[in-house]
Amino acid sequence: MSKPHENEHNPHKPAARKEMSRRQFLSYTLGGATAFMAGGAALPMVRFAVDPLLQKKTEGNYIKVVEVSKITDQPQEFNFEVTQVDGWYESKPTLTAWIRKDDQGILALSPICKHLGCTVSWNNNAKYKDQYFCPCHGAHYTSDGKQLAVARAPLDEYKVKIKDGFVYLGDKMPNTRAK
Amino acid sequence: MFKGVYNWIDERLDITPMWRDVADHEVPEHVNPAHHFSAFVYCFGGLTFFITVIQILSGMFLTMYYVPDIVNAYYSVEYLQTKVAFGQIVRGMHHWGASLVIVMMFLHTLRVFFTGSYKAPREMNWVVGMLIFFVMLGLGFTGYLLPWDNKAYFATKVGMEIADTVPYIGPYLKELMQGGTIVGAQTLTRFFAIHVFFLPAGLLALLGAHFFMIRRQGISGPL
Amino acid sequence: MAHGHSSKEKVVYVGDSRVKKRSYNPEQPDYTAYPGKSEAFIPNFLLKEWMVGVVALVAFLVLTISEPPPLGYPANPNNTGFVPIPDWYFLFLYQLLKYPYASGSYVVIGTVLIPAVMFGGLVMAPFLDSGKERRFYKRPIASSLMFVSLLAIIYLTKVAWNGYEHELKELNIIPEHIEREEKAREAAAAGKPTGQAKPGGKEVAIVDKDDPAMASFKKATCVACHGADLKGASAPSLRGIGDTLSKDEILKIIHEGKNDGKMPAMYDTAIGAGLTDQDIDHLAEWLAKQKAAQ
Repeated sequence: MSKPHENEHNPHKPAARKEMSRRQFLSYTLGGATAFMAGGAALPMVRFAVDPLLQKKTEGNYIKVVEVSKITDQPQEFNFEVTQVDGWYESKPTLTAWIRKDDQGILALSPICKHLGCTVSWNNNAKYKDQYFCPCHGAHYTSDGKQLAVARAPLDEYKVKIKDGFVYLGDKMPNTRAK
Repeated sequence: MFKGVYNWIDERLDITPMWRDVADHEVPEHVNPAHHFSAFVYCFGGLTFFITVIQILSGMFLTMYYVPDIVNAYYSVEYLQTKVAFGQIVRGMHHWGASLVIVMMFLHTLRVFFTGSYKAPREMNWVVGMLIFFVMLGLGFTGYLLPWDNKAYFATKVGMEIADTVPYIGPYLKELMQGGTIVGAQTLTRFFAIHVFFLPAGLLALLGAHFFMIRRQGISGPL
Repeated sequence: MAHGHSSKEKVVYVGDSRVKKRSYNPEQPDYTAYPGKSEAFIPNFLLKEWMVGVVALVAFLVLTISEPPPLGYPANPNNTGFVPIPDWYFLFLYQLLKYPYASGSYVVIGTVLIPAVMFGGLVMAPFLDSGKERRFYKRPIASSLMFVSLLAIIYLTKVAWNGYEHELKELNIIPEHIEREEKAREAAAAGKPTGQAKPGGKEVAIVDKDDPAMASFKKATCVACHGADLKGASAPSLRGIGDTLSKDEILKIIHEGKNDGKMPAMYDTAIGAGLTDQDIDHLAEWLAKQKAAQ
């Protein structure tokens, strides 16, 4: 604690050098240490919290379902298994698709009825020839999946990809054909 | 006995001025329903706080049984509601209290608005109050998912789709809140953490600021 | 900054670093400009406030005792028919998004712009409405904006709720929390367990998998909802159904349906699919044999 006294005794000593005052130095050090403590503690936590955002997406995970040559213009039922990972839960639900082709390409429809979630099938009721019919409440759909009764929306379709003569199916999406 | 303990503590910590400051301040006539019945509109803030306290307590007790896990959440809620003594009342307090807090807060906000009480010098307290409003809505939204029944699940899905529509950051925001690409196990734990730790911490800080400012500035004068 | 040891102080701190004690003189907002009777917060005013609190608590407890909090069925992401509904205080926002200028390609208006303007306006209210006047009828702009917003919120909430009720009626759905409660009450009256069966645990096997009834089960389109392996899909699992239902009860459900047609009467469908009465009888018998415990 001798500095202030020195200054007192030599009031004319040039203070030209732009030195940091002791108080300033202490404030900066204090601020820096605070910032380090806050940042150092928070950084791992923030990275921890945003991890799901930065994880590699498994999207576009297409599942090989059937040879293209087997697809006809009549819808056929195919089952395929997907792996769904939800954090520490992994499940392998079996999904069903009704696949047919026409001049617009291959259409793969999900058989989950858009009314109350029962399962529709193709041509399973004599009254609704060449239609998807739901046995629960009589919802029926055209081959494009357009709803004709009861249901509020057309059947969902799967994303379709064709590679090496096989049909690959991806995520479900709202119907794009039935307008 | 009690007096002895109090004096012993007071000698060491000098606590008397702290509570005397709260206790002794004068409350003006125009907010006192005993003088003018119409002054009951000034009760809504206090009632909001009262129900908030009930919310915090009942929430703390609910976590004694609740498990934030997609397999067990629903069954733990069903168990605590139907099998545990007074479970229906405790969960009921938390469920209905959530709605009641919103109602009371809404009425309190309207009272402050229509009496012009947010005007200078009380602008900051209004802003803090609005922040409390957002936090409460956030608590409502995150709490809605926790029972993990169909209503909870699908309402949250709709909420996530709404978040998704925000320009530019929407998809990231959605994924950050969901903790992944689907509403699932990680969404539930995330919402649980936000509902039980993050938002209540913010709420308590804001409430502290709210009350401090009321005490400092006093209640707004009569019209 | 030592305080100096006065002999009156019983506790003496060495190297006293306490902040100097201020004389107790709380700042009092001055209400003398408003003539009337002010009173101390504790106990006079607080007592009145707590009377209000007591009344509110009694009303609140009566509500919680008389009205159980709603709880539906466990979340099932495959349930595509569920009509989602948010908590009531988000209904107005939910309804807003159904209008053409707040949905589709304009959805940003409904999800971001309108809420941002509304809440932003609220937060900034003291700075936007910065005049001295406090009476609401002397601040026509602020007050009328608030009134209009209030009316809009009430209207939108009402429309959303009516729409929800209408949709339920049209689709013939009973809200799950009501259905679950009624069933639990029925089950309690019948002395059966009231809770939802928890999935997982021990898997129940199919009894007599090679029985011809399995073929009838597929043919009669039962598989559509109850799953090819009886594990259930949109309808419940039938594994172990024999534990709760007898053959006659199952036959009755096949003939008449259940749950207001959620399980429709399937008898005609089965006959239409080429099953005989005998087949159906056998199917019911086989289902009744599906018991968890062998």
